[in-house]
Amino acid sequence: MNRREFLSKSSTIAGAGLVLGAPSVLGAAGSANDKINVALIGMGKQGRVLFEAMSNIPGIHFQAVCDIWDYNLNSGAGKVRALQKHMPNRYTDIDELLEKEKGLDVAIVATPDFWHSPHTVKCLDAGLHVYCEKMMSNTIDGARAMVHAMERNKKLCQIGHQRRSNPRYRYTLDHLINNNKICGTIVNINGQWNRAVSSSQDIQYKKSLAIDPARLKQYGFKDMHQFMNWRFYRDLSGGPISDLGAHQIDVFNWFLGCQPKSVFASGGNDFFKTREHFDNVMAIFEYDSAQGPVRAFYQVLTTTSSGGGFYESFMGTEGTIKTSEMASGSAIYRESSAPLWDDLVKRGYLRKKAAPAPAKKSDGIASYASAAPEEFAIPGVLNKQPHQNHLENFFAAVRGEAKLNCDARHAFESEAPIFWVNPSALQKEPIIFTPEQLQV
Amino acid sequence: MSTESNESSNKLGLIFASVLLRLWLGVRALQTGIEKFAGIKMSEEGAKIDGQVYDPDLTVEASSKAYSMANYHGVPEALKGKFEAEPLMMGWALNIYDKVLGPALILLGLTILLGIASRVSLLILGLVYISLTWGLILINQDGGIAWLGVHMALIAMALNWANYNPLRILKKW
Repeated sequence: MNRREFLSKSSTIAGAGLVLGAPSVLGAAGSANDKINVALIGMGKQGRVLFEAMSNIPGIHFQAVCDIWDYNLNSGAGKVRALQKHMPNRYTDIDELLEKEKGLDVAIVATPDFWHSPHTVKCLDAGLHVYCEKMMSNTIDGARAMVHAMERNKKLCQIGHQRRSNPRYRYTLDHLINNNKICGTIVNINGQWNRAVSSSQDIQYKKSLAIDPARLKQYGFKDMHQFMNWRFYRDLSGGPISDLGAHQIDVFNWFLGCQPKSVFASGGNDFFKTREHFDNVMAIFEYDSAQGPVRAFYQVLTTTSSGGGFYESFMGTEGTIKTSEMASGSAIYRESSAPLWDDLVKRGYLRKKAAPAPAKKSDGIASYASAAPEEFAIPGVLNKQPHQNHLENFFAAVRGEAKLNCDARHAFESEAPIFWVNPSALQKEPIIFTPEQLQV
Repeated sequence: MSTESNESSNKLGLIFASVLLRLWLGVRALQTGIEKFAGIKMSEEGAKIDGQVYDPDLTVEASSKAYSMANYHGVPEALKGKFEAEPLMMGWALNIYDKVLGPALILLGLTILLGIASRVSLLILGLVYISLTWGLILINQDGGIAWLGVHMALIAMALNWANYNPLRILKKW
């Protein structure tokens, strides 16, 4: 059974409580032969990542580019020109772009988090379909406004939780967790993104390229350092739990098909003392999922890369699936007491890895430990840039050929609990969610 | 053994040393330049489940090394971002350097291997290594600087022994 057949046959399963997994907004009408005219809003680091991923997708015309920093604007426009052999129209102001550009179909929003909501709403109100980077907004009300604008304008709005279109993740959820239930009952989730101090330093810039202070102020930045390092500021972003954690906590909620009922978090400025956001955050979410209670622990550390980088680990009574955007960080373990998976291996569902080393008899503690689990892997790797599938899904939806894998409403349902992690850590108290805290 | 015989043996040793050193430096430059066109080609064979391809983007975990113009990267991507943030590094110069470094190393590798204007070729290779050293000083890569220092010493030795090198196509310069 391939993925498309599985999706059509499993629609009744998806409808049974898996609210987060089944986007409701249908694709727009369109033709596969039509070129889609795109405006790139924000050509910083993430904007360039998305552009590189889109450069492999046929049928896209990059009509306009917008960035308040001339350096980003000109280098981004240069990359576009290198790809499509003519220069896109360049703007430093999105309002001017939306007023002057005719025939646009799509906006790709990759601006700082606090601009996501205003920019997305403007573009939706202007009649464009929007692909916006995650986190939806730095405020939950900003995220709500995006959902309202999507539904008010009946346009598509995909949020950049790109794992939702990654065939490795979709395969893991569809075939391994739901169809073959290789985890048994999932009882715990453990996820992390640990990043070294060396990778978490302030981003530098050349003084000669600095933006005019008046323009910085016009767009909400007090100075050039804040413009380059907006992720450190509470009014501009949600900090590491939002920047890094949102990707993975979204996977928790997507895979379980529900929102958590509470969060209890701890955080601190352990190393980067002057930053407004916590540099290390740990959070525990509690779920009442369809299969029973689940506790999920998540940590984001910007002070050490120790502990295996970034992954999400779904731990069940019969097996554990460790997913990661990097194939090398993924693994599947069978509990020694679980039914054998030989048939799944034979049919190609799993790939068996080398047998684990037996515990040494001289190691006294070994007699108290469980037998080492067998290790397996999913049978394939992603042969594309990690954002490409998600963008392909978006453009297919714009052409009316697919449903969005992560529209704004479903992204909101998944992101809503993340907005309450920092408040829990600041108050040093658990938050038991009310419907008002998690609903649009 | 006579003095004349000793001198002859010593000269033969110098010729061998000079040829070997020239070959080493030539191969080092040539292959380093070629490697800048190398990349990893992933398998395009879809992973099969129950005998069917699940998703064409989910391919079997196999890769091979491949060379192509599309793979070209003069300055490694990981270092390029660091260089771009350096106030003393001019963006336009970095872009030019990025484009010419690979072809320059290949060209110099060939001229040194074949013995075409060996002295000038070695001089230019030394200047390339100095430019690389300057870049690494900017971003505090002390290990790389020491490594390039060894290369500079070898180039100086090769220039010193250039007269003992008979296997050259163009001996002048």
